Amino acid sequence: MYMSTVPKLVSGFTVIPVAYAHSTHILYARAHLSKSQDVVYPEKRTLFLVNIPVDATDREISLFFKSCGTVERVVYNRDSRDEAEAEAAAEQEEEAEADIETSPPRPPSPSSQDPHPQSKRKQRPTESASPSVVPLPPIPLRTLRKTGSIAHVIFLDASSLEKALVPPTKPRPWPSSSEEPRGLAHYAALYDAQRPPLDVVKAHADTWMERFEFDLAKTKQKLAYRKGEAIVDDDGFTLVTRGGAYGQTLGGGVGVASKAFEKTSRTGSKKKKEPKEKETFYAFQKAEKQRKALLDLRKNFEADKARIDKMKESRRFKPY
Amino acid sequence: MASDLKRKREDQLSDDDDVELDAETAKKHKLPTGEELRTLKDAAGLYQSSSFKLQIDALLPNVRPKESRTAPLDQFLFTLRSHLLSLPHIKPQHPLVAARTLSESGVAVPFALPHPTQDTKWTVAFEPPSNIHVVGSWANKISVKKKDGKYFGLDLSIEMPASLFQEKDYLDARYFHKRAYYLAVVAQSISTSFEVDVFYGATLNDPRQTFIVLRPRKGASHDFSKTHAEIHIIPALSSSHPIPLHRLSPSHSNVRVQPPTDALLPMTNSSTPIYNTAILISTFPKLSLLSTNTLIQSSPTFRDAHTLLRVWANQRGYGEGALCIHGFEGKGSWWASVLGLLLDGEEPVSVVGKWNASKKRSVGKGLSSYQLFRASLDLLAKQDFENAPAFVKSANGHRYSPEEYPSNHSAVFVDATSTINHLVDVPFTSLDMLQYDAQKTLEQLNDSTGTDDVFADVFLRDQTHLSKRCDAVIRVDLSRVSKYRSTFEFVEYGTSDNALLAAISRFLRRGLGDRVRALAIFHPSSNVRSISEMSRPARMSVIHIGLIYSPEDAFRLVDHGPAAGEQDTEAAKEFRQLWGPKSELRRFKDGRITESVVWEVKTSDERAHIPAFIVRHLLHLHFGVPIADIKTIATPFDVKLRLPDHLASLLQHVGATGGFKAALTAFDGLVKNFKALDEKLPLALLNVSPVAEYLRYTSTFTPVPISLSSSLALPTPLRYLPHIPIILEFEKSSKWPDDLRAIQKIKLAFFETIASALMTASPGLRAAVHIEYSCDSDIQDHASLEILTPEGWAFSARIWHDREAVLLERLASPAQTPVTPSPQPSKDQRMARRALDIYTRRFIHAPRHHRAIATVAHRYIAYPGTVRLVKRWLASHWLLGVHVSEEVVEIICARSFVGNGVALPDTATNAPRSKERGFALVIEFLKEWKPENPIFVPLYEDNGPSIEPSVVAVSSKEGVWTISTSEDPRGKMWTSSGPDIVAAQRLCALAKEAHKVLQENDVDPLSVKRLFAHAIDDYDIVIDLDPTVLPRYHQNIDADELVWSKSGVGRPTDGDAVSRPGFDPARILFDDLQSTYSDTLKFFFDIYGGHRIGAIWLLNVSRTRPFRALGGFSSVPATEGGKSKEKDKRDAVLLNRQSVLDEIKRLGTGLIKKITVREK
Repeated sequence: MYMSTVPKLVSGFTVIPVAYAHSTHILYARAHLSKSQDVVYPEKRTLFLVNIPVDATDREISLFFKSCGTVERVVYNRDSRDEAEAEAAAEQEEEAEADIETSPPRPPSPSSQDPHPQSKRKQRPTESASPSVVPLPPIPLRTLRKTGSIAHVIFLDASSLEKALVPPTKPRPWPSSSEEPRGLAHYAALYDAQRPPLDVVKAHADTWMERFEFDLAKTKQKLAYRKGEAIVDDDGFTLVTRGGAYGQTLGGGVGVASKAFEKTSRTGSKKKKEPKEKETFYAFQKAEKQRKALLDLRKNFEADKARIDKMKESRRFKPY
Repeated sequence: MASDLKRKREDQLSDDDDVELDAETAKKHKLPTGEELRTLKDAAGLYQSSSFKLQIDALLPNVRPKESRTAPLDQFLFTLRSHLLSLPHIKPQHPLVAARTLSESGVAVPFALPHPTQDTKWTVAFEPPSNIHVVGSWANKISVKKKDGKYFGLDLSIEMPASLFQEKDYLDARYFHKRAYYLAVVAQSISTSFEVDVFYGATLNDPRQTFIVLRPRKGASHDFSKTHAEIHIIPALSSSHPIPLHRLSPSHSNVRVQPPTDALLPMTNSSTPIYNTAILISTFPKLSLLSTNTLIQSSPTFRDAHTLLRVWANQRGYGEGALCIHGFEGKGSWWASVLGLLLDGEEPVSVVGKWNASKKRSVGKGLSSYQLFRASLDLLAKQDFENAPAFVKSANGHRYSPEEYPSNHSAVFVDATSTINHLVDVPFTSLDMLQYDAQKTLEQLNDSTGTDDVFADVFLRDQTHLSKRCDAVIRVDLSRVSKYRSTFEFVEYGTSDNALLAAISRFLRRGLGDRVRALAIFHPSSNVRSISEMSRPARMSVIHIGLIYSPEDAFRLVDHGPAAGEQDTEAAKEFRQLWGPKSELRRFKDGRITESVVWEVKTSDERAHIPAFIVRHLLHLHFGVPIADIKTIATPFDVKLRLPDHLASLLQHVGATGGFKAALTAFDGLVKNFKALDEKLPLALLNVSPVAEYLRYTSTFTPVPISLSSSLALPTPLRYLPHIPIILEFEKSSKWPDDLRAIQKIKLAFFETIASALMTASPGLRAAVHIEYSCDSDIQDHASLEILTPEGWAFSARIWHDREAVLLERLASPAQTPVTPSPQPSKDQRMARRALDIYTRRFIHAPRHHRAIATVAHRYIAYPGTVRLVKRWLASHWLLGVHVSEEVVEIICARSFVGNGVALPDTATNAPRSKERGFALVIEFLKEWKPENPIFVPLYEDNGPSIEPSVVAVSSKEGVWTISTSEDPRGKMWTSSGPDIVAAQRLCALAKEAHKVLQENDVDPLSVKRLFAHAIDDYDIVIDLDPTVLPRYHQNIDADELVWSKSGVGRPTDGDAVSRPGFDPARILFDDLQSTYSDTLKFFFDIYGGHRIGAIWLLNVSRTRPFRALGGFSSVPATEGGKSKEKDKRDAVLLNRQSVLDEIKRLGTGLIKKITVREK
């Protein structure tokens, strides 16, 4: 891979070569175009980056673009790839980025790289009284992404974005931060990090459950209806829901479609209907039956014969 | 109502009339004619099934000579006949003089033992034959093709005129000398006057049974090669010969040499039954021809049944071929006689009341060919050859008294003409094998499912392949035998080889006794030789001894002999003679003092070798075969399943006792510890279920504990300690939250409680909660409790909560309304589905599977060994674990034991009793199995038929195998994630290669090595790992001891003195690579300490593609390729291979030594 042969632009993306030990890795960059309302990356200062290195970390990306400006945060599109890909295949390239955004990535958050599920919960706006959760110790380790994945890099100011989009003259080396180990050291650290001290586990589980109970109690309070009372909406319709095992439906005992009906949209009892006519009552029925049996016999025989003939063709009957 | 119906019926009838008008459909709707109906019914009723009959019909013409091509042969026979009849007389002369005259023209006289000497008084002469007949199977048109491309044999008997013989010729092989001379004269004259190749042939190389073989020469005037037949010229005695038949009775001795004093010889006197039979055979050809012809006349299906029986026998080595069972060479007429016994019944012999009571009656002549074939198998399977002599019903009584046979012959089967005992020189061992094979086939035929497969197994497949036929195959090189048999035996058996083999089979049968169900000696059948050779000079060099174990007794440690009180009896002497110095007088625990032989073994592996030890001991003791010349395949196989000796001794040094039993004990101990914690836990522990291969005897390596302290003392490549997964089940309680995330947190709390309680309860035990951060879903079960016991066993426990399934299902199945079709599954749904998948596999199926496999392992002694071998084999070819799950290997292996489709009983003859045979069977299955056909394994049925569910083979991109059990009717539980089509095809190719290696019957350690050696030429990329940092390296298929020994490369990574049970960085790296580059590369890896990872580029990534933001691969703008596609305005990109390799190298920092790319 020589720089001279690589074009500066590919389908509107700036080609940013990255020097590897024995080769050149290619990053594709473009200014982020937002079409959907759901997720807002700040316009003018968000860089859309394609084909980031599989083991890239925030720090490494920041370091790489240090010459252009300061990186505020990096958002990886990891989870939504499958869906986006299916759709993107049919779309034109220009819309590719927009496609991704139709399925929202994780809400941007300072710790979006943090793989801990509970952190999400923590960020939900909470009441002042809600107990806080002791998190499990975070893992300061690399997360691997599938090869060829994308990221949004948000700079502090718009000028950095422009700088970043200028095709570089020569490949820059990929920075390597010593904070996050690689390879064997990484795996050893991971092994240790996955086994946190027992007291931390205990504190985490206990506080989490406390919080869970608290939230549960709150939702219960908020619930508009009480058991046994009918819910009548503004238009005067009564909400009908399926009841418990003893027919205590909310809002009185109204019949509601069964689960089976919901799935198959078919009613009907399971009992099979008895055939109307007896099958061997009249002589002609018996005769028909016999006749059919004989015909079947021949049919099966012919079928077998055809099969054997086919086997014969493949010379299967030469034992040795 | 009734009239309505009647009218309806009339309508229908008239409809039918209309239909008949239509010529196309007429045939379809017309009832079969009576004739047709009978064939149809017969096919279904008289044969296994109609398809079975059709297959038989298709088979028969292929194994018979083509009638249309016999004309040139007939022509040649006429010429030959007139030539032979016009041969000139030769005056009587001294045999040696006569032989010298002939040898001048390059023809040797095949004299039998004992050779004539200068002092012989009698003379040899020649007169043209008094009669010439075509006899045997050719004359009766019942010839059956032989194995390995051998010719059909046309037997031509030439009657030697009675005037050539004298009354005393039965003595001292005089008859055979005269016969030999006669034969030599004929051979000489034919070789000079016809354009055919003339050879000598002899059954079992016995010079007494020499005959002339005439083979066509291509392009010569008498070219009958199209018939694919050869002519055997067999001298016969004319009916007026002067030799008194009463002198040839079974009990007469006609050889004047010193008889031996061998206690094991069945003949207590010096009678020479085999010698006598050899003379009697000369009177047999014409008689046999007639009696067989009568049979053919009397039963219309005789020919077909005979052909089926011969094909069946040939496929199993009971006939000429590359691997013939000793004694069955040249026994063609016996098979017709077996059918004769069935059709005519047994002769009522009115002596010795005991054994003639169960006389067999005729089965009747109206049986179909298949029924007759089955009846003959039934006869062979049930006939007690050792104790019940068989006499075919004869027209006018038997010649010799029936008592004479059993006391002088081994097995007895006298033909209808009462001329010969067919089985006189067939050892009991071979008959045992025959009986076993017949039983096996009957079992198969009784299993009515899958008729195509059964038909192929019975008739079409070559069953001589030793490694899948016998539990143990022992290769013996006889060229250095140092103890020979006596002269008497030489003379009786005809050749020293035959005497030796007969003795070997006697000794082995006696020595192995009830340890084996059958044993047989296999060797290539005799070949023709040039007529200038007097006899075959070279002795038979290599024989194979095949053993079929009986499951209970095969591995007994002690052989008991007679008690001490009977020291001087014959039995005691015989016992001592048999075992030699190994026999000792021992006192046993129950107070008995008996003569006994004790086999000492160190490991359970060795115990499986006891039968082979016995064979080795006996052959060495009695025949002087050097130990090195007796080889089995078992030992090199064992080595593959053992840890390096060095490591074993190292571990023994620190006092760790490994093994499956020890692991189970450790598990039981842990369960006890758990139960003791009862008060400290909020819920009672109901169940602890094992789900580990280490706890069901099926892990490739026996588990070994490594305690904390000794782990630190070991160098890194020896440190690997696997986790043994177990599952905890608590009592049901309403205290569990009804939320998936909360359940996972509660599990954490449980683990913490158990861990703290366990650590306080038993000091030295370490416990930690393991949380998998790698899974990004918080509703999935992702935590486990890791326990390291003081002895050094590592367990990993998970908690099973059944409410999870309900919650996950609710989440996974979308709320559907009848009107709207189901929308695309949302992200939550997919996540729930994945979690549910893992839940079902981990908590529902894994414990069930474990129980089922544990049961199979207990029922079949060879099963665990088979699984371990197959796992090792698959791993050594970089497939196990990474493409083929270990559970599915266990299921596939079970198939060879429990049967396919129908669960076989424990006593089924088919189940292999040794791991080597099990391995061969699994390999054969993998070779032939096409993944399109789903298979069903009756793993969960205890004895008894089961209904095979109809399974549809579902193949997905990830997994193409469908293997169902009754617990998993879809058949995807263990195969959903592999092997994919690439891996499956690779596996099939590897199995074919392995099958070839196994089929080469030379069992030497090298071939085993070849079996497990993996060729890496096929990989585009090979990633070399640094073995010194791999904790599992000691399991490597050819681990290099230097890597961990102190003198070697050293221990560079011992800086961190932390013990990490279960830490396998190579595996994590592999998994990371696999998931990161799943759309770019396919990886292969040996999970047992492999130090290389192989990869191939996926097909679809090599070409140029238009650039897309979500291309899913690391790309580089294409410099040229893209221009051709003008219509696509997108720029083309290529896979950036080198940068991918650089990334891989970066990912494996500290692990990867180098990456080799294959040059194209």
